Amino acid sequence: MKNSQIAIIIAIAVLIGFTLVNLGNSATYSSFADASLKQGETTTVIGYLNLEEPMSFDAKTVTLTFAAKDKKGNASTVVYNQPKPQDFERSEEITMTGYATDSAFIATDILMKCPSKYNEQNEVDSDKIYK
Amino acid sequence: MNYIGEHLWAAELGRGLTAFSFVFALLSTFAYYSKGEDWKTVGRLAFRLHAITLFGLIGTLFFIMANHYFEFDYVWKHTSLDLPPRYLFSAFWEGQEGSFLLWMFWNAILGWVLTYTAKNFEGPVVGVFAAVQAFLVSMILGIWIGDYQLGYSPFNLVRELPENLGLPWTQFEDYLTRFPNFMDGSGLNPLLQNYWMTIHPPTLFLGFASTLIPFSYAIAGLLRKDYTSWISSALKWSVFSVGILGVGILMGGAWAYEALSFGGFWAWDPVENTSLVPWLTMAAGTHLLLIQRNKGGVMPSVLFLLIISFLLVLYSTFLTRSGILGDSSVHAFVDLGLSGQLLIYLLFFTLGSLGLFLARYRGLPKKEKEDRMDSREFWMFIGALVLLISGLQITLSTSYPVFNKLFGPEGLIHLYDENKVLNDPIKHYNAIQVPFAIIITLLIGAGQFLSYRQTSSKLFFQRQITTLVATTILTGLSAWALDMWNPMYITLMWTSYYAVIANLEFWIRWGKGQWNFAGASVAHVGFGLLIAGALVSNANKDIISQNRTFIHEDFPANENLLLSLGDTVEMGKYWATWSGQNEEGYYINYELEFFEEIDGKLEAAFNLSPRIQLNERMGNVAEPSTRHTLTKDIYTHVTYADLRTEEERGTDEWKNEFELELNVGDTHFLYGKYQLELDTLVVDAPHSEGELDYAILGAGLTITTLEDSVYKVMPVYAVQGNQAQQVDAEIKELGLKFSFDRINYESNKPVIIASEHTEAEVPFILVKAEVFPWINLLWLGSILMAVGTGIAIAQRVKRERK
Repeated sequence: MKNSQIAIIIAIAVLIGFTLVNLGNSATYSSFADASLKQGETTTVIGYLNLEEPMSFDAKTVTLTFAAKDKKGNASTVVYNQPKPQDFERSEEITMTGYATDSAFIATDILMKCPSKYNEQNEVDSDKIYK
Repeated sequence: MNYIGEHLWAAELGRGLTAFSFVFALLSTFAYYSKGEDWKTVGRLAFRLHAITLFGLIGTLFFIMANHYFEFDYVWKHTSLDLPPRYLFSAFWEGQEGSFLLWMFWNAILGWVLTYTAKNFEGPVVGVFAAVQAFLVSMILGIWIGDYQLGYSPFNLVRELPENLGLPWTQFEDYLTRFPNFMDGSGLNPLLQNYWMTIHPPTLFLGFASTLIPFSYAIAGLLRKDYTSWISSALKWSVFSVGILGVGILMGGAWAYEALSFGGFWAWDPVENTSLVPWLTMAAGTHLLLIQRNKGGVMPSVLFLLIISFLLVLYSTFLTRSGILGDSSVHAFVDLGLSGQLLIYLLFFTLGSLGLFLARYRGLPKKEKEDRMDSREFWMFIGALVLLISGLQITLSTSYPVFNKLFGPEGLIHLYDENKVLNDPIKHYNAIQVPFAIIITLLIGAGQFLSYRQTSSKLFFQRQITTLVATTILTGLSAWALDMWNPMYITLMWTSYYAVIANLEFWIRWGKGQWNFAGASVAHVGFGLLIAGALVSNANKDIISQNRTFIHEDFPANENLLLSLGDTVEMGKYWATWSGQNEEGYYINYELEFFEEIDGKLEAAFNLSPRIQLNERMGNVAEPSTRHTLTKDIYTHVTYADLRTEEERGTDEWKNEFELELNVGDTHFLYGKYQLELDTLVVDAPHSEGELDYAILGAGLTITTLEDSVYKVMPVYAVQGNQAQQVDAEIKELGLKFSFDRINYESNKPVIIASEHTEAEVPFILVKAEVFPWINLLWLGSILMAVGTGIAIAQRVKRERK
């Protein structure tokens, strides 16, 4: 067999290896309920802000505490030790990566989806137009 | 109805030109692929007419944008009256339609150039261009076929949009002057109002467009079963492609680093990834083209790499424009509903080109003799293979949203029940790509000491003694100076220094230091420096805004430092003061003064002004401010600030109202500085004849400060019949007020509202500051790569002329 063919076969094997590693390593979007069953394990939960419950941001300790509900309706308190993202209240959906503890879900990373971010919010609004 | 004030001629002209441009592109494709010289002339003429009508339509769009004809949806969405003229270009390609036009513009220019330079390959090469252009123009055709809209025209009028059809305001012939909405457009997103937006997209799209040339040559070669005569032409253009695409990608990184608060120049975002991958495969293809020209024997791999480079550009287009990345990227395009058309475009060229490749595979020239393991071409081949795997790995991991669509819970073929996601993409990619970078840089270095065909091992080692010694010493010194001992990082540092020094050495040894021969060497030195710079600046990134007061192990809370107005706090080896803020257009600038301790005294060092952009469309955005020095950058951004206006903050003396529900004996830590306890509840509620006459309640509160001063107050709540009254209690020294608001009848607890006096509250911001050491290596490397590829192209053109 030729050297270059051996190299190609090795390359294909490496690629298949990565695919398997990827499939093994990748997490699935989880819910608060699943997360609390596996305390301490990093998961990603998609949910939304529950504005009926109090939200507080303590700048001195850089702690944002808020209530969230995941897509299945499980509620949880979320603690995020980062500055409060701009326009946090306006977020439509929040992707929270972190882990569950007894008292709260500790988010290490938050990605927000704002209504204005994806739609340009500049449709002609006929209510506005008649003013 | 005749609407007043509309510029319908522009709409007619624009749409007409679009339609003609589309038809000419189709005609050109057809003519170029028909046999005979006459047809070739027709194809060329049609392609040029396509290009001219395309330029005409671009000009028309520019014209209506420059003149703010707000009846056009695209104009209304992307410009406004107060938009500075210098941002007109940025506004033009802000939207999907405009950026498609930018791409087509470059394709038309390059295609036109090829009608002159491609000579006897003109037919099949420019034919591919015409076909690609036909697909691209169809994206902006905007014609309805039954209920299906083919393409999305930038010449749509607002009143013609499906969502506006039949709305009452469209019944007014003077709607343009009647409704204030049409007086001004919504304008260019302030986030994109900077010079990067003017230079980055054109460069990147020229890079994307340029990948089509080697692709077209590969297709032409396969069609004609000619595997030799186009190699030099394709090589010249593939070097061009590597150079321009590389510059385009790096400009994006520079933009992110300079003006956006992503915290660095590369974030492994899907949009970044999918533009990097074609570069990797094109770089691999270019190196194999070199082998093919010098020695031959790698034709199948050359064809494969040139073909997939363009296909990966199409895949990138599909990902960023179809809306499929929605959840996982911060900067994909808004979905225009073109995903079906984009998919057909992608599939047509994928199936067409790979199908042709497979059909011709048996007849491709193969190696006559096996490469020796000690030949340069063997290791260049391995290098190309590693680049390919690296690119495919990135593609694989970026494609989760696609896999979820195909195999996920709502997928076509249901394979798994939960959508999959990468929890920590940056860690994931770094872990896999660092070893690849090690192999690549090692090969870039070692390759310089190998000769084509064969190298004696004695010579191989003799040649590089100096390089090995110099590399090892330099790595040792760097590791010691940076205190960086992670074995993986040290290895990468060694290999990237090795690549730099080996190429310098090669240029001096073989090129005798002449610029004419410098192309590849300079580009390789640049690549080595780029990797070294990326490694050192990232691995040794130092977050100096450590919050020492509230250290919490493993909590990133300590990466943000609180700066009260006028207060000076320690930040790494500096001291920083927030001295004030000012407003400037869309921006609030925060003035930070940095001091350095010299001989026990604080000396002013430099000032920075990170800012926050007030952006109604995207939400407010923090923009960094960076102090550049030769050996390191100090990068700061404001991570939290109170952005309320005076009005929103109110003129009330009292603020930060906080509601507490307490039982007797309960305590609460208030405002982060006071310990509050409800000691007693005094109740006076006389009854007569079973009825409550009145009730007076007093809440005995004890407040302890952090300095252990103790205050006692009693707010009072009185109720008689339907009337309630409060007597508030104040602690003047602390600027605190307590009000006994009510009794919560559900929990039976008294409700106390605390508030703070305005003067007691000092304004503050949170700042994150990072030091990126030696990031200038990265920029120097980028520039050298661009210069190197430039020299290489000039060399080739010169040699061809001779």
